[in-house]
Amino acid sequence: MNLISDILFWVFSVAAVVTGLLVFITDSMVRAAYWLMASFVAVGGILMILDAQFLGLILILMMAGEMTIMAIFMVMFMMNPAGLNPMTMVHQHRTSIVAGAGAFVALAAVGLLAEFPDRPVPPGVDPTVDLGVELLGESMLIFESAGVALLAVMIGAVALVSKRGRYGIAEEGSEEPSLEMSEE
Amino acid sequence: MNPLVAVVLIGVVMVVSVYLVAVIDTAVETRVSGGRGYARAWLAPISRAARLALQRRTVTERPDAEAWVLGPALLGGLAAVALTSIPFAPGVDVADIPAGIVLFGAALLQVMVAVVLHGWGANSVFPLLGAFRMAAVGLSMGIPFSLVLITTAIPAESLSVGAIIASQEGVWNVLRQPIGLPVYLITALGFSFWGPLQLPDGADLAGGTSAEISGTALLVWRIARASILVSLAAMGAAAFLGGYLGPWLPGWLWMIVKTMGLAALMIWSGHRIARARMESVVLLGWTVLLPVALVDVFVSGALTL
Repeated sequence: MNLISDILFWVFSVAAVVTGLLVFITDSMVRAAYWLMASFVAVGGILMILDAQFLGLILILMMAGEMTIMAIFMVMFMMNPAGLNPMTMVHQHRTSIVAGAGAFVALAAVGLLAEFPDRPVPPGVDPTVDLGVELLGESMLIFESAGVALLAVMIGAVALVSKRGRYGIAEEGSEEPSLEMSEE
Repeated sequence: MNPLVAVVLIGVVMVVSVYLVAVIDTAVETRVSGGRGYARAWLAPISRAARLALQRRTVTERPDAEAWVLGPALLGGLAAVALTSIPFAPGVDVADIPAGIVLFGAALLQVMVAVVLHGWGANSVFPLLGAFRMAAVGLSMGIPFSLVLITTAIPAESLSVGAIIASQEGVWNVLRQPIGLPVYLITALGFSFWGPLQLPDGADLAGGTSAEISGTALLVWRIARASILVSLAAMGAAAFLGGYLGPWLPGWLWMIVKTMGLAALMIWSGHRIARARMESVVLLGWTVLLPVALVDVFVSGALTL
């Protein structure tokens, strides 16, 4: 069992790093977005090996929507015809090299110098229950504040897009306003 | 469960149920159009499949070849993953894991990715429009879909599909959470892009995501799409209709009857209800289904307390 989870850990880790690298090597907007998602799916797999089933699966679930949104926004905002043509995924080389090297050194330092806890999950403990107790117990204020803030954003976004288009309710089709002056 | 047995089980379930879906589809079409001769329904899917298998494959100019080819395969694979979380009879499941219903939800949300990749990969206008449609439908239907599904876990006090079925021993969730099943079925039509919500690869887009494929590629695409429909019907049966629970008949037979019943309902809708417009689908998802699904969560939670 330990051997299998070790093998799976390495498979997922290598997959996460390689697909993460492919995000920058590929020349397609949609491919870049979904390589990033593949990387997150591999991280979700590692979470599942760590017995955090719920967290791992919810990560995979959320990333499907989020990376789709990201892909569409990237395609929409690009200057070349709607982001459909091949284009490089790296720019501002000097800044990004410095930022990347800095982040790598910092993370490597944490990895080497920090003392990681060694607390295997005792058998019979349901991590999902512990997570729920944590979210609605000790950390309730933080998570509920974040939750309410996100909910407000969502409701605002829905209110902005659903009610009226530029020329009226989306459902009734968009008819341009008349050019003639209204008699008021 | 032994991995080899699991692969065979899921394979057999997919092959048989996809065939049944095709048969029901043909039979309903015959009935709705006032035709006769249901015997045809048993053979028509096979001859259609044979014709597609022999058909020449088309290619487009500079497609994103891998995404285009692997999109349908990913779709079929996701249906198989989704089916693993569902117990077909007491003790007969591939992986009834503690977070099974989240596994199912994750697999179904990834359907959006498979369809978008497939539509993007063709490097052609109609498939690309189909991909954008799938994103819009998936994002509008995703939250209500997940909410009504996760609500069935509240009375069970567990995210395992087996526990959710067991919690319906006295009363099925379709009665306990009357909002759940209708919302689930509408969003399920969105995720299997079937019937009135066949928007990503609908005829109004000249085939949409599947406009540029033919032959075996189209065959794989249709099989994958039907198996997504089956996995959604199976989860609907397990989460809302008590799965394998029921009197007189053996459990596995109940599961088949309920699954195929829900699948037939969704297939029937495709021949009876007109295709919805994109605007009304997005509006329905965000302004009707989402609030209604939230009411479902709150009421079920309050009742459980």
